[in-house]
Amino acid sequence: MSASTLALIPCLPLLAALCTAGMRNGRRAAAVAIGALAMSALLALWALSQAWTGDAQVFPLADWLSVGGTRITFSLRLDALSALMASMVTFVGLLIFIFSTGYMAHDPRCARFFCYLSLFAAGMLGLVLSNNLLLLFMSWEIVGLASYLLIGFWFHKPSAAAAGKKAFIVTRLGDLGLLLGLLVAFTQTGTLELYAGGAGLLEKDPGTLVWGVGAAKLVSLLLFVGAAGKSGQVPLHVWLPDAMEGPTPVSALIHAATMVAAGVFLVARTFPLFEAGGTLPLVAWTGGVTALIAALIALGQFDIKRILAYSTVSQLGLMMVGLGAATTGAIGMYHLFTHAYFKALLFLGAGSISHGCHHEQDIRKMGGIARAMPVTTAAYLCGALALVAFPYTSGYFSKDAVLVAVYGADRPLFYLCAFSSLLTALYVTRQCVYVFAGAHRGAHAPHESPAVMTVPLVILAVFALGMGGLFGGALQAKLGAIHAAHPFPVIATSWAVALGGMLLGWVIYSGRDLRAPDPLALVPLQRKLWFDELYAATAGRLWSGLTALAVLLQEMVAALAELVQELAQATGQFFSRSVDGRLIDQLAVDGLARRFHEGGRAAVRFQSGFLPGYLRWVVLGTLLGGLFVHWLLT
Amino acid sequence: MTLNHYLVLSAILLGIGLLGVLTRRNIIVVLFSIEILFNAANLNFIAFWRFGPNPEALMGPMFALFAIAVAAAEVAVGLALVIAVYRHFKTVDLEKLDTLREP
Amino acid sequence: MIEGVAFYILSTVAVLGALLAVSRRNLVHGVFALLLFFAALSGLFVMLMADYVAAVQVLVYVGAVGILQLFAIMLTEHVTGDDLRRLGARGWFWGLMLAVALPVVLLLPPLLNGEPPVPPAAPQSTARQLGSQLMEHYVVPLEVLALLLTGALIGAVAVAHGPEKDPPGKDRPA
Repeated sequence: MSASTLALIPCLPLLAALCTAGMRNGRRAAAVAIGALAMSALLALWALSQAWTGDAQVFPLADWLSVGGTRITFSLRLDALSALMASMVTFVGLLIFIFSTGYMAHDPRCARFFCYLSLFAAGMLGLVLSNNLLLLFMSWEIVGLASYLLIGFWFHKPSAAAAGKKAFIVTRLGDLGLLLGLLVAFTQTGTLELYAGGAGLLEKDPGTLVWGVGAAKLVSLLLFVGAAGKSGQVPLHVWLPDAMEGPTPVSALIHAATMVAAGVFLVARTFPLFEAGGTLPLVAWTGGVTALIAALIALGQFDIKRILAYSTVSQLGLMMVGLGAATTGAIGMYHLFTHAYFKALLFLGAGSISHGCHHEQDIRKMGGIARAMPVTTAAYLCGALALVAFPYTSGYFSKDAVLVAVYGADRPLFYLCAFSSLLTALYVTRQCVYVFAGAHRGAHAPHESPAVMTVPLVILAVFALGMGGLFGGALQAKLGAIHAAHPFPVIATSWAVALGGMLLGWVIYSGRDLRAPDPLALVPLQRKLWFDELYAATAGRLWSGLTALAVLLQEMVAALAELVQELAQATGQFFSRSVDGRLIDQLAVDGLARRFHEGGRAAVRFQSGFLPGYLRWVVLGTLLGGLFVHWLLT
Repeated sequence: MTLNHYLVLSAILLGIGLLGVLTRRNIIVVLFSIEILFNAANLNFIAFWRFGPNPEALMGPMFALFAIAVAAAEVAVGLALVIAVYRHFKTVDLEKLDTLREP
Repeated sequence: MIEGVAFYILSTVAVLGALLAVSRRNLVHGVFALLLFFAALSGLFVMLMADYVAAVQVLVYVGAVGILQLFAIMLTEHVTGDDLRRLGARGWFWGLMLAVALPVVLLLPPLLNGEPPVPPAAPQSTARQLGSQLMEHYVVPLEVLALLLTGALIGAVAVAHGPEKDPPGKDRPA
């Protein structure tokens, strides 16, 4: 595997994005994007096979910047972590691309959609593979941009445009942290390479670091701010549910499976820094609180995609717990992989359902989908089982690993995670009962989606059920997990929360008239615990004040500008009258032209057509010539 | 007879020719006058040769002969032009041939 | 003595002929005055020992050019007509001024410089000498001149040749 071959993995989708940028034909653009990503997927699988058997490698591609003695290079890192992420991104992405051809078939801007998707894939793959924090940051921003463009893809909907802006601004807060972390790291170590033969940022032994542990703490904290922004951890989670305004494939790919996992990936990638800085408990507790809050809010939601969005936030919280509680990044990443498959499956399933229900997303107006859309229902239920960690599905294995890790590390956090898992089972059951059981409550009869949408669902369902059990052990081993003892209380808790939550949900919802108000959708939960209102009251108020101040300032500036303008106008008029009018117009330009014109008029008088006149001039010329010669000779 | 006699005669003939060229309106008369100018020049050539320092070289007669030949050609073309002009404009009046100007 | 008489007679005839040629309203009269002028000039050439040039003068000018001009007059205008009037006062003024001024200017150097010495021997310019000169030194100019004359001939024919006339009877309905 050479460096350029590895570089092709992110470059192919980038090329596809460039090619499709100018296209109008949606089918052709889809073909280009899918072809490029399929090739990327094959290359990523090859890279995975290399990384699986061989050692981790660094591929320097080219020098990027060279300032003084500092060189910043494009370099790629191929190890189990990045290869797994790359193949997961390309594989899930490929399925979602294919799904999109069906979902977006009737959108007039379908070609543009695939352009954005390809751009996203390129950014995500670059992020995953980069061995340089700066390159990672650049890809991170590309991914953010693609996310913004795709959330606001239907920008004619005001809510979509607002959601795009919200996502961009909130993640920007996190990106600011990441950038600051980058700068601190650079000033402290003078390098941004993650691995560079012992001289990289992550390879220096924490004990013999030139910079103290305090700096490592600061850097890891700042990086975690970036990760929290991207991965929707609690104070910055508000953008993620709103991002569901975008097309459903986007929600599946970006806001469930891959991009939001970038924060988790960042923590896993820079895990040595977090270890050295001692910030892992903070990561774990942020994750735990996020998991609980998001699970609670999910109980009170009625939008099928919004429920899934909060569940995503909740699961991202669990990933953070897995990272923070363990001694390696393996457990959190393991949950990330399993989650990517079953959450992509759930989102695509939700997309298929809302597609079948004529773009209805309110679960109160659904029901009876099981009969109308059997394939989608079966696949969706597989994803739901994996999400609630039903025993021996992939979600069970990964969540179990998280719980084992946290059981050993921090007992109160373990109970928190267990409770949020119970809530997960409860809201998933609630959602499934609302959607699939009973009679249809909407206006239009639902219909099954085309094969191009259901086939990816089935493939993803297989992975959601089987991946954890089949590959789990090897995957964790490759990522560096230490096999831990499996204490009985953890197993019991896992089974109990999954089955108990489902049973509780069934008891509450199965016999109810679903048109009646929901007993669990309490007002605080429906209002998402007033996070948006809180921000509006604090940050928004502050912002309004600043805006007023800015308006005042602007008016002052405007007055000043008016003064300057008056002055400039007076000067201009002076010049226009004296210089322009007199000198240029009358003397130089126009004057010269007038002289020439008059000269021409005068010359025309010689050209009278009066032949004897011409003869006169000839003779006169001869006369003068003779005189001249005479004067010369004497 | 000295050179100056011939030069004065030639100058008078030149003046007469010029008078014709400048005052007459008929192209044919203008052509006459041009012939007079030619002959005045020829007379000068011959006179300078006759009284000049190096008569063996025969420069004067040669020049005169060539001038006569060229003048003959000129007359032929000139008169042809006069006929063409007349055919086109139905006049040989110089004052009416004023198409050679800015309209 | 006799040379002086001949010179004055010939020059008077030449000047008179030229004056008549440029001033007569009747063009045919003008042509005949011009022929007189040409003949007098040929006499002057003889006096200047240029016999061959004098002969050519008679042949070319008196013979060819005069006849050509008669034909031109015949082909163009009435022999006399309204448009044979002279130019107006302005034209006259300019013409007279220039016609006097230019000869005076040209005569200035010889009159100021005085008489150049007369060569002791009269030059020889027999037809034989001229012929040998033409065939030796002046071959190329001679050939060029021949070409020029041919070109002038063809050009004159082309210029004087009017637009193609349709064959008679074709454009006329029978």
